[in-house]
Amino acid sequence: MGVERSMPLDLLSKTIENKVPEAKINETDHSKTGCFLEVVVPVAKITDTAEAMYDELYYLEAITGLDFTDGFQVLYHFNKFETRDRVVVRLMVGKGEKVPTISCIYSAALWHEREVHDFFGIEFEGSPDMRPLLMPEDVDFHPLLKDFGKVNAYHRMDEIYGDDK
Amino acid sequence: MATTNSEPVLTKEYFLNLGPQHPSTHGVLRVLLKLDGEYIVEADPIIGYGHRGHEKMAENRTYKQFMPNPSRVDYLSGFLYNHGYVLAVEKLMGLEVPERAKYIRVICSELNRISSHLLWFGTFLMDLGAFTPFLYCFDDREVILDLLDYITGSRLTYCYCRIGGVAKDIDDQFIEGTLNFIKRLRSRWTDYHNLVTKNVIFIHRVKDIGIIDKNIALKYGVTGPNLRGCGVPYDVRKAEPYEIYEEVDFEIPVGEKGDIWDRYMVRLNEMEQSCRIIEQAIKKLPRGPVKASGVPVKIEPPKGEVYFPFESARGEAAFFIVSDGTEYPYRIRIRVPSFSNLQALTEVLPGTLVADTIAILGSIDIVVPEIDR
Amino acid sequence: MEHILSNELGRLIVGLIVVLIFSQLNALFLVWLERKVAGHIQLRIGPKEVGPYGLLQTIVDGLKLVGKELITPKRADRILFIIAPVLVFVPVLVPFIVLPFSKSLPLNDMNVGLLVIFSFSTINVLAILIGGWGSNNKYALLGAIRSVAQNIAYEIPLLLSVLSVVLMTKTLQMSKIVQAQGSYWFFLIQPIAALTYFICATAETNRAPFDIPEAESELVAGFHTEFSGMRFGLFFLAEYTNVFVVCAVATTLFLGGWQGPFGFSLGIPGIIWFLAKTYLLVFVIMWFRWTFPRLRFDQLISFSWKVLIPLALANLIITAGVIKLI
Repeated sequence: MGVERSMPLDLLSKTIENKVPEAKINETDHSKTGCFLEVVVPVAKITDTAEAMYDELYYLEAITGLDFTDGFQVLYHFNKFETRDRVVVRLMVGKGEKVPTISCIYSAALWHEREVHDFFGIEFEGSPDMRPLLMPEDVDFHPLLKDFGKVNAYHRMDEIYGDDK
Repeated sequence: MATTNSEPVLTKEYFLNLGPQHPSTHGVLRVLLKLDGEYIVEADPIIGYGHRGHEKMAENRTYKQFMPNPSRVDYLSGFLYNHGYVLAVEKLMGLEVPERAKYIRVICSELNRISSHLLWFGTFLMDLGAFTPFLYCFDDREVILDLLDYITGSRLTYCYCRIGGVAKDIDDQFIEGTLNFIKRLRSRWTDYHNLVTKNVIFIHRVKDIGIIDKNIALKYGVTGPNLRGCGVPYDVRKAEPYEIYEEVDFEIPVGEKGDIWDRYMVRLNEMEQSCRIIEQAIKKLPRGPVKASGVPVKIEPPKGEVYFPFESARGEAAFFIVSDGTEYPYRIRIRVPSFSNLQALTEVLPGTLVADTIAILGSIDIVVPEIDR
Repeated sequence: MEHILSNELGRLIVGLIVVLIFSQLNALFLVWLERKVAGHIQLRIGPKEVGPYGLLQTIVDGLKLVGKELITPKRADRILFIIAPVLVFVPVLVPFIVLPFSKSLPLNDMNVGLLVIFSFSTINVLAILIGGWGSNNKYALLGAIRSVAQNIAYEIPLLLSVLSVVLMTKTLQMSKIVQAQGSYWFFLIQPIAALTYFICATAETNRAPFDIPEAESELVAGFHTEFSGMRFGLFFLAEYTNVFVVCAVATTLFLGGWQGPFGFSLGIPGIIWFLAKTYLLVFVIMWFRWTFPRLRFDQLISFSWKVLIPLALANLIITAGVIKLI
């Protein structure tokens, strides 16, 4: 599928680099992963990154949690209305580590964060509302954790993504 | 729109539970409304009553076993989800699909989109208190369901796409039926417009009400007809064309302000565009196989991840799949448009009347089980 | 009032029994008619299984309602809750006493006939308020509040439009109003009053597009949310009887009552003329319901205060002026 990225790449990269110098920005193959850019930032810097994305008029598509034996990943998919320009921001979250909320920047994030909290038990720091969203109020388990229920595989991150991350 | 800041003496705000069992919440959605008289002060949608855990199910099923699930996520545009899931897996595997299969999938997808929009049209007007258009729409929709039933074997939750193609070829009877349906639908526009669009009461109920502007859309990730209603021509079929959408000629209808009226007109025009896509697809329909040869029996995509967006009837839906190289997906995340669209209500509803709430809720076209997954 | 009690009393008692039977049968018939009309408008055929053309369907439904349990919510105001359905049903029977079905058929042709009808039809609102308040349910209360506001708003233009006719005939007696239309019907010379009356009458009976007190997509069932069994049935019967009454009054005031067009009765008895016209209007009201979306509450009220009342008032003043000049 020959989808071209229709925006100069470095514009966003520069905005992010200005805000978050630690960010690791890689180009990815859209025809394989569906994203043009992958940004890996430290957990504490997600708010700044989200601000940069918001300044560049990206909207939040989804927040996805992933469970690995050596930690969680929280993925933020961003996209633009005007141009095709999907960016994934990847957080490596240690078990038990808290993630700063971005619901103050993207209102959409509130429900997505609540959902991730439901499924993975990842706490979002500073979120105004952490009630269970999809799960009943009284559950004490997190169903999408790989040690809940019947599980086929529980990998380390590098088993899927290779050693570079 | 009236404001509530004059603070009259001796009035008290109170809570009203709209749902979970309510004629207008279309499924089990509960909206906790804080009311001042009939004006909404605060709205808090509470979801999760229909949570079935499709994402967890995915981890315990092979790629093939998961096939029936996507169409149950959103039962009103089941084919689009079925289609989207298969496309995502194909992209992950790097599988090329025969041309004819692509065309067939698009024809069915667009038929399903029309049926979803028709159902929305009916239920939305029922929310406004007009009962008759509902049955007119169902009468039209029935034809689509029969057509899709004829080739897929099911009326609502389709599982017709296969990884690498479709289950079986379509025949002339289906093509003829589809063309007849399009003819019939076009002749019905006049009826719909005379009955609804030109109705003064209807116009007063929908103009300038429930405005979702570009800012709200950006903050909440609103997509689909709700976004196009405010004038942003964002449609995944154009933005990231999949299948044959690049080869057919269609427009993206947009509105101006983003009020209910715009969303209504966008959806009506979209049905016409879908008709155009179907017509062109049928005209161009190539001969050949409908299933790729050499698709392994055991689907084992290479390690990696893919985010595959597609345009469902309600906006941008997506499958995010992480593969660990086995026949079981490591994780499947389903991005559903209604999830974001509904959330925007918390910002749109305050300041409106109870009657408007119903109209707005109807106009954003939510399918609650889709949100709950 | 030349006739004194003796035979008048007997006439009244017989009449009341006839009225009771007629109003029940009429309501049942109207429910059936509504379902048939709705069906045919909506590409369906409506009830057809029970009896010829499904005519007995509503009777069966009525029996079902009678057989159902009467549930009183725990926190409801018991007295008000029980009294409301009765209170809503009884007043709609009273207008039958003065309705002139034909020249000889008004049960009691009082000289204040019109006044009786409108004074009793107002009680309807009170009953709805009691029902909504007594249910102790937020949806019911909202429905009741809406109903009161709506009825107050629409009572005024309704009476104003009726006043125009009264000014012309100089009487409140139903039969005299009909006789005054011997050569031409009043809707020809009072079109605005006729239109205003008909719109307001639809609103008075809480019928679509003015059915906001029971707007089912917003308020579940509005003021009768909590009522079950025959209590709900009474609200239902009252609504249809009310529809018949307002249409009958419209026939009397604007369509020449039992008389044929321009004084030609064409050999058809007066009562047939009267019922035919009334049921035609009833059909129109049903037609409204299955065609229009519902108005919003504030639009409904402002339509009355900003359009109908000035219109009816202007019409009344012009009528008065013209009568004075002639």
